[in-house]
Amino acid sequence: MTFAEVLAGIFEGFRVTALVTLLGMLYAVPFAFIAGVAQYSARGWPHAAITALIEFWRSSPVIILLYAFYYTLPGFGLRLSGLTVGAMVLGLNIGAYGSQAVRAALQALDRGQVEAGRSIGLRRWQILLLIELPQALLAMMPTFINQFIQLVKGTALVSLITLSDMTFRAKEISQLHYDPVKVYTGLLVAYFIICYPATVVGRWLERKVGAGRKLVHDV
Amino acid sequence: MFDFGFALSIIPAIGKALTTTLAVTLLSCIFAALLGFGLEITRRSSQPMRYAMRFVIDFIRSTPVLVQLYFLYYVLPVYGIKLPALVVGVAALSIYYCGYLAEVFKAGIDGIARGQFEAAKALGLGRFQTVILVIAPQMLRNIAAPMGSYFISIFKSTPYLAVIAVPESFGSALDIASDTFRYGEPLAVVGAIFLAIAVGFSWLIHRFEARLALPSR
Repeated sequence: MTFAEVLAGIFEGFRVTALVTLLGMLYAVPFAFIAGVAQYSARGWPHAAITALIEFWRSSPVIILLYAFYYTLPGFGLRLSGLTVGAMVLGLNIGAYGSQAVRAALQALDRGQVEAGRSIGLRRWQILLLIELPQALLAMMPTFINQFIQLVKGTALVSLITLSDMTFRAKEISQLHYDPVKVYTGLLVAYFIICYPATVVGRWLERKVGAGRKLVHDV
Repeated sequence: MFDFGFALSIIPAIGKALTTTLAVTLLSCIFAALLGFGLEITRRSSQPMRYAMRFVIDFIRSTPVLVQLYFLYYVLPVYGIKLPALVVGVAALSIYYCGYLAEVFKAGIDGIARGQFEAAKALGLGRFQTVILVIAPQMLRNIAAPMGSYFISIFKSTPYLAVIAVPESFGSALDIASDTFRYGEPLAVVGAIFLAIAVGFSWLIHRFEARLALPSR
């Protein structure tokens, strides 16, 4: 097999990689915003409960959660497809990190913004939705892009729960035509082609925005 | 359903494998930090190096750690380099995270006042002395928190090594699962152990960061 053929074979798994990424985003973005805003505005026990939930999704290794959900839920009568489990686990993990960007961006806003909103008679939720979130959005962007890259890279894990993504395809090709050098170089190149543009955009945004730089994360 | 007796009975086996997990974490943290610092210092040495090292860092950051692990594990033997899985695992984690740590060091060094570099020069310190005696100690204060987060990430990435048969905690949990056909308990036990250690470690970093912080001016 030529290198180009290997690369083409690997990209046959791109559909699954893209699908898991896309579905993962559907879990990640709402979770990041809801949990971030909730952690920012809640007090007392609801705040503690949300913090615990975020901490659970942030601090548990993704690979363990993937196996746990994929192999143990059927025992409790809940049979989810590999795609659902993959997207949910990866999405909520990334979303939990994202929620910290949302919270930090909201906390970094000038308090005067809230007072101004109050002085023109807006309610608390209106201030949050119309004044705070739009301004915080820019500060969250670099972290969100980094999280997106983490999500794309994290999808390689779904190969372990038998979804035929790029990594899974690579393993198949490698077993078929024993040529690990071409296959695994090809796989690195394939992910690089997909993630590099986002890495560049992320770095550019980080320089532009600066804020949220202390937030780090990953799968 | 979930069998608590069984869950308790497998704790010693998984706990034993935890030694490997922690050893892998410690070694990978050390090597990742050293490599990352080396990358960052090399990046600052000249214009061509700046582009070369930036590419290396971006490449490492743009590919999944699992894929890098497979690459090292399957490709090295083709070239006659046969290493134990444990060594390959530590190498993969160190390489992957050195890319991130290089960026952390970059921010840490950028945060040091220009005058410090000039003062070092005025004292007649060489490049190496400046880096070790002036830059590194001040940088550490700037980056304790993000560096700690990446160390936690390294710890959380050690289960990846199960795919190349390194006998760490997650691998031993999977072994128990395949021997007993019970997945729930081993995965819950190993998950709880990882969660507890990660949360505990992040709390420690928080405290450490507070102690390191300069009094506000």
